[in-house]
Amino acid sequence: MATVSVNAPKARRLTLKRRRQLAGVVFALPAIALVIGFIGIPIGQDVYYSFTQWDGQTATWVGVSTWTQAFHNPNLWTALRNNALLLLSVPFALGLPLCIAVLLHQRVAGWRIFRTIYFLPTAISWVVLGLVAERFFAFQGTLNSIIHALGFSHFSTNLLGYQSEALLALGITFIFTMIGTNTMLFLTGLATLDPSLEEAARIDGAGRWRIFRNITLPHLSRFIQLAFVMTVIALFSALFSLIFVMTGGGPGYATTTVEYLIYQTGFNQGDFGTAALYGLILFVITGVVGIVQLRLIGSSE
Amino acid sequence: MTTASTPPKEPEDPRPSMGPVQRPRKLGRWMLFVVMMIVAVIMLYPFWVMIYTSLKSEAQFLAGSGFSWISWSSLTSVIPIGQEVLSSTIVCAASILLILIVGLPAGFAFSKLRFRLSTGIFLVMVSAMMVPLQAILMTEYVNVSRLHLTGGYTAAVLVYAALGTPFSVFLFSTYFRGVPDELIEAGIVDGLGYVGVLWRLVVPIALPAIATVTVLQFIQIWDDLLVGLFFIQNTSDRPITVGLAVLAAGRTTSIPELMAGSIISALPAMLVYVGFQRYLVKGLTMGIDR
Repeated sequence: MATVSVNAPKARRLTLKRRRQLAGVVFALPAIALVIGFIGIPIGQDVYYSFTQWDGQTATWVGVSTWTQAFHNPNLWTALRNNALLLLSVPFALGLPLCIAVLLHQRVAGWRIFRTIYFLPTAISWVVLGLVAERFFAFQGTLNSIIHALGFSHFSTNLLGYQSEALLALGITFIFTMIGTNTMLFLTGLATLDPSLEEAARIDGAGRWRIFRNITLPHLSRFIQLAFVMTVIALFSALFSLIFVMTGGGPGYATTTVEYLIYQTGFNQGDFGTAALYGLILFVITGVVGIVQLRLIGSSE
Repeated sequence: MTTASTPPKEPEDPRPSMGPVQRPRKLGRWMLFVVMMIVAVIMLYPFWVMIYTSLKSEAQFLAGSGFSWISWSSLTSVIPIGQEVLSSTIVCAASILLILIVGLPAGFAFSKLRFRLSTGIFLVMVSAMMVPLQAILMTEYVNVSRLHLTGGYTAAVLVYAALGTPFSVFLFSTYFRGVPDELIEAGIVDGLGYVGVLWRLVVPIALPAIATVTVLQFIQIWDDLLVGLFFIQNTSDRPITVGLAVLAAGRTTSIPELMAGSIISALPAMLVYVGFQRYLVKGLTMGIDR
């Protein structure tokens, strides 16, 4: 008798719990299926096809020879070097927005309008920004007009035309495209800063620089970390539109990054197997950066 | 500097000591304003180039002077702009709808209807956010081609939805964590069922999160090149970014017309951007700013 009266509600609660779990499974399933089907499986296939010779139709298993050939291919090293050189733009892509955010935070007259203006380029496609940047750096473009207007009339640049300089133009464009997003992040961070802290420091006689260094910057550290990760990931995986429109990866391979090399190897040269392998390399690189971000998100909870 | 500091004009000035500091501060404010104007000019440069260049004929552009409307009036004969805007709109709408349809229940499940392994699955799902499409470009392309999905918009919509789902699931589940369990239990007791609870109780609360996902995904998909370029086969179904990029890469189209097309491509995203700025900020700082 006693065992029944104890077990009955327990059993009912269990079925309720099971029903809730079942609903959870059913609700989560479409999203899981979509992500597995279109992201998970292709990653697995990347691994398989990186050991094959593959033209998109038939794949023949060749073992590690795709790997050894790829790592002897100078184009891969050029692309990796280009990515590494572009990393030099990251301090600027973070530093400039930090300065702009601090300026905006001073709340000068009309700062809301300035904020909207500064964020506006973020809304435009990088395809369009690439088109504009191409016009800026072109031989008859704005950059040379500015140089001539400053009095250097017999000096002209053609950054996109030279192997040694095209990457610089790409890096500058990348910095410009990141300004809006990163400024927005930093401004959000500044808005959560308690103004009375700064006030107290000022009363204690701390100078502006010391207040910035000892109060503002530590407060922003989490936002700076997030901006850093987002910027690095964008650098490895969002330059395609800019490169496609501005340089096509050239001159030569001067502006070919790993993500662009995947496209060139696969679609232009028809070597799908090697392209899949390059994809795997890109996956590992962004994966490492991504793990850093996940740890950041996790540690805040 | 010290000579400039005058004694307070009125003896009852509450802050006489502020006198000497006032002037350099005001000067600083002006300097600040000037710097901000310079930054504004730089940030507005793309818009100026687009507008200025589009108001020229090709000959005027090459000559460097003169204005005309010809690039605007001949635009539709060079770029099928109407068709391309329509394609972009269809792809955006369908992808966002699919993201919401699969993302809302999944976010609800991962936060409120936990099941065995759900935490682990959730973590894997969130990590998928980091996978760039380029990393799986070849295998994805071959897969959807084999399934004959690249004909219309199907492949592009599915790929966009798959790429957008991890973030939206993350955002929704974070948001739903704030929904009280009692509300859900009450709904179940009232016989709504789990679908009813989600649809009638949870979704209405989640409107701000839905807005954030919609705005973020709209700008992302509207501005994207990669998916449209590889997963939409017919040139007549091209979204506008693909149309512009292909013409630009071909280097045969006149620049003024390209710029006119660029303005049209930029307008919708800019309007959404200005109108819904706060949702964007919310989405960007999700996870660190709660």
